[in-house]
This record gives sequence, C-alpha cells and structure tokens, in this order.
Amino acid sequence: MLFHLAWATLLRHRGRTVLTVLGVAVSAAMLLDMVMLSSGMRASFRNMLVASGFELRIAPKGTLPFDTDATIPNATSIAHRLQADSDVTTVSPVLGGQLHVTVGQRTINATALGGIGRVQGDYDITDGRVPSAPDEVVASAEFLRASGLAIGDTIRAAAGYDPELRTTTGSRALRIVGRAHFVYLPAEQRAIALPLETLQRMQGARSTDRVSLFMVKTRAGANADTVLHRLQRTLPNVSMISTASAMQQVDQRLSYFRQLALILGAVSLAVGFLLVTTLVTVSVNERLGEIVIMRAIGVARERIVLQIVLEGIAIMLAGAIVGLGLGLLTARYLNSILASFPGLPAAIDFFLFEPHDAWTALGLLTAVGILAGVYPSWRGASLPIALTLREEAVG
Amino acid sequence: MLLPLLLLAAAQQIDSIPPRVAPRTVAVDERLAGDVGLRVGDRMVLSSTPGGPGDTVIVGALVQRAADPSEVARAEYRVRMHLDELQSLIGYGDRVDRFAVQTRGGAHTDSAIRAINHAAFGFQAYRSREIAVETSQTFLVVSRFHRAIGVITIVASAIFLLCIMLLKVDERRRDVAALRMIGISARSIVRSVIVEAASIAVAGSGVGVAIGWAASLGINWFYRGVYRTPLAFAIVTPGIVALAVALSIVLGLVAGFLAAQRLVRTPPLELLSGRREQRGAANAAAI
Repeated sequence: MLFHLAWATLLRHRGRTVLTVLGVAVSAAMLLDMVMLSSGMRASFRNMLVASGFELRIAPKGTLPFDTDATIPNATSIAHRLQADSDVTTVSPVLGGQLHVTVGQRTINATALGGIGRVQGDYDITDGRVPSAPDEVVASAEFLRASGLAIGDTIRAAAGYDPELRTTTGSRALRIVGRAHFVYLPAEQRAIALPLETLQRMQGARSTDRVSLFMVKTRAGANADTVLHRLQRTLPNVSMISTASAMQQVDQRLSYFRQLALILGAVSLAVGFLLVTTLVTVSVNERLGEIVIMRAIGVARERIVLQIVLEGIAIMLAGAIVGLGLGLLTARYLNSILASFPGLPAAIDFFLFEPHDAWTALGLLTAVGILAGVYPSWRGASLPIALTLREEAVG
Repeated sequence: MLLPLLLLAAAQQIDSIPPRVAPRTVAVDERLAGDVGLRVGDRMVLSSTPGGPGDTVIVGALVQRAADPSEVARAEYRVRMHLDELQSLIGYGDRVDRFAVQTRGGAHTDSAIRAINHAAFGFQAYRSREIAVETSQTFLVVSRFHRAIGVITIVASAIFLLCIMLLKVDERRRDVAALRMIGISARSIVRSVIVEAASIAVAGSGVGVAIGWAASLGINWFYRGVYRTPLAFAIVTPGIVALAVALSIVLGLVAGFLAAQRLVRTPPLELLSGRREQRGAANAAAI
C-alpha cells in the first residue's frame, strides 16, 4: 500500500519526476566518479607496486626511486648486507640511465634499466627471453617500432657523449633477445633492459659499483615494516621505502585529486539533496488536502512520513541506477584525459572501478534520499487536521 | 641534474675546525628555513653524501617559491649555490646541466640555434618556448580534465535549473488559470513567466558569483597553506563571471519558456480544477 501510494504520487507528474531523476543521475554519476577518483589511483598504484612481489625499495638517501639521477655507492656490499637478513629472500639491484642507439643515420634515445635478469621485477617478457649474456638486451615495443628493429637484431648503443673529443662514450654492440612490457614506465616510452654489469661498464667510472635502486622481497609472513626498520638501522645512508610509505608519498603528491574528488563529491550530494528536497516539498504542498484526509480517516502519522520518505528514496535510487552507467562512461572518458599525463606508467588508472565504490555511492545517495524526504514529510504529517481541511476546502 | 644535498647541521652550529677560506653564501628555500628555523646569517654544512665531508656555508638569502605549478607537488628542499662551489661539492668537474643563452631576439635567435646545433656534439639548443611547451604538458592535461568536469557540472546545473523552473511555474497554475479566464492572452502569460524566470536566473547568478568568489578565496587560502606556494589555485575572472551569468540566464529563459508553454497549452478549467493531475493519478492507480 505504502509503495503503491508513493509510486502513484511520482507518476502523477511524470515530466517533473523524470527530470528530477535525470538531475539525480548526473549528480550520482559525478559522485561515483569522485569516489572512484579518490580511491582508484591509490588502488592502481598499489597494485602496480605489489604486482612483482617486491615489498621494499631502497633509494639514495633523501630521494624516491628514480626521482633524481642520484645513485647508491658500494652496491655490492649493500646487496650482501641485505641478503644476510633472514627475512629477505630476493634483492634486485637496478641502475637507470639513457642509451643513445644508432640506427642507420639516426640516433634514438632510450631509457635503460640495468638489472639481474633472474630476479628483476621491472619488466615482463612478451616475446623472446630475458637477457642473460653481457651483450643481450630486451626492448619495449615502442623502441622496436621507432627503430624498425626486431628480436635477433644487433644494435650499437652508447651511454653518453664526450663533446670535447666529439665521440660517444661507453659504446657497445648489443643483441636484442626479447620484447618486454616495462611495468613502471609509460606505454609510449622507448626502453631497453640489459644486464646490470653491462650498463655499469658502459656508464664508466661514475657508475662503478653503483645502482639507482634496490628492490627487496621479504619472506612470506614477515612484516615488511619490521624488516624495513631493522635494515634501516644497519644501512642509515640510504632511504628505504615500503609499499605503505610509497603510498603515503603518492597520497602527498596526488592530494590535489583526492581533495578535488572530496569537494566535487560533496557538491554532487548537495545538488542531489536539494533537487529531491525541492521536488518532495512541492509535491507535499500540492496534496496537503490528500494528506490531512488520510490523517482524518485514521492513517498514522508515521505511515504518512514513511510514504513521503519512500518517494525521496525512490527518486534517489532510480537516479543512482541511471547514474551508475553514466558514471562509468564519464569515468572512462576522464581517465583517458588523465592517462595522457607525461611519464605516467601505463598501469596507473585514476578512475578504477571497484564494487566497493558503487556501494559507497549508492549508500550515500540513499542516505541523502532519506534526509531529503524527512523535512517535507514531517511538515506534511504535522499539519493540524481540521484547520488544513477547512483551508483546502475553502481555498 | 643536481645531486641531492643533505642538510647535516643547521643554524648556530659551526664546525669545530675553522674553514680555510671565508664561507660562501647560499640562498635557502623558505620552506627549509621555516622547517629547521634558519635565518639569514646562520651557518650550516652542506654535503653531497650523508655523513660525508661537507662545506660550511652562510645563509645569504631566503628564497620564496615562485608561483610555478610545476613546483606545487614537489616537497623537496632547494638550496641555491655558486656554480663552482656546487661543482666542487658534488665532484662534477667543469660540467653543467644546461646553459641559458640570451640573444638579440628574432632572426638572431634562429641563427644562434643553427650555429650551436651545427657545432654541438652531445647537446642541443632549444628555444625557451619549445621547452615551455614540453614542460607544460602536465598542466594542459589538468586543464582538459577541469574543462571536462566543468561540462558535466553545466549539464547538472541545466537540469537542476529546468527542474526548479518547472516546479516554480507549476505551483502557479491556479493563478495562470485565473489570468486566462479574465482574458489575459497566452502570449502575455508566457512573457510574464519568462521575465520571472530571467529575474530568478539573474538573482541566482549574482548569488552564485558571490559564492564562487568566496569559495575561490577559501580554496586559495587552503591550498596555499597545504602546498606552501603563492600560486593562485582558483581565479574568478570577468570572462568566467560573464560565461556563468550568460549560461544561467539562457538556461533560465529556456526553462521558463518550456514551463510557460506547458501551462498555457492546458485549458484553464483543467488547471483550476487540477484535473490534469487527477488524470495522472488515475492512470498511475490503474498501473
């Protein structure tokens, strides 16, 4: 009965109801997008960090991994000390740099990552195999596309230039043995991965026994933060970053988007609230006579309140369902805009849909729908019966 | 690229071994100065490696961060030093990361770029404009994102306004019916509703502009505090105000016109008796 009456009231002014549902749908879409934005980039960044199973990253003191060109000296000694810890299972050293690859008359610049093939976590092989010999490399699809080279080809790469002697430095012939997807690099980045020692030698004295980063896996069941604090005491001259502290850094750098999401999400809720409150209030004002007659024939005040609140909830839910689809479409569009950030890893999504987001948005909208109906319904149900009947009858 | 400089000891701490030459001066980021309590004239030791040997320097100036968007999310501290001292401190030799070259402008710039690139091996000359375009990509993306959010907001506002106008006009159906019955033309009623809608839109725009202006002050105050930058995050310009007011007036007029048309097309007696509603309710009940 209650549902039937609420439904009938909404259908009485179809145009108005449809328009309100549409307005709520746009608000709901915006709300869903903002909920996705506030949690999506954290979730996708976290997924990217933990995908390869490395819980700790060790960077030069005071820096984040690859945030600067700084490197860690005495890499061999540090690697041994890390491996000596009973909770550490894998240590993967990485050295970054630039390689200048000569292809015919052209020179192609590529990001170079030097690592140990069997323990590296920077790339996944999509074709071919991991480099094992000193003169073997794998390359990103973008590098192969730009250079026109293929697996099996040999390239000549240099690590730098000497302007005074007008020669390249650290030049070496390398053979491409695979195509790789680089996890932490943008999709359009031209990249090459090669053995650590090869890159160190190509870069010369400035990189002897130096690395840019260590990635560390811990034993299953070990607390990464406990291991981090223990290692930090023995190696005070490097910065150690756990997944949790990396997330904090990301939060700090991307706080703008989270705050934007919070503000726009709140505005969306407020717009939805105002829209539904206005509609329900006008609707109650239009049928004061009907409401007091129901009161006069013995319908309880609570049932009248409930019926009017149901109207608000129905509008909100209808709007939320339409808004869910709309929100997913707009999220895809907005994500495509933000995905073009220079240097953003391809694995990062700003708008990542998780069922939890949809439930959060739906819960907030339902709560707002209830709130929106409370005031007008209480006002309608509290009217003095005799006086209102007389006013409605006389006009 | 500068190697990260680590601050080893801050104000009022002087090395136990006196320096052989008079300490040079450095300019310190005001964030760093604020965080560790540095003042002009204080001495500190700079080192390129943690715990390594360092140079004692004197804080000669405090530098305020420029209103540069690229600086906003960067939390690291900055110390500005004399070139030779930094080269010596980090063992960089006679090397630099880049040269900034001033030309006489126009064609001189083109010929300078050609000459440098012809002679260069391992480096290249760029126009400042080209570098600015390259480094501003991030902000172009953010700008596109803001525009997209703005379009969604405008769509939501348009629907909201249309809805409110429909409700507003609908509430006056009995007045409209009475006016029609005493001989006022439908055209006059439509005009009066449109004038009313325009008045509401103008009043709403005024209030909206005031709220927007106040919000921009709040946003700037908040984000300047969070990021410690003089950058303006939200600016209310005459162009933005004109766009917002024009949009709301147009939307208000369209909404008023549609709502008025709906009213004048309904026979006055139906409006007065509310039969249209009753018909709707009956249909709903039948469903």
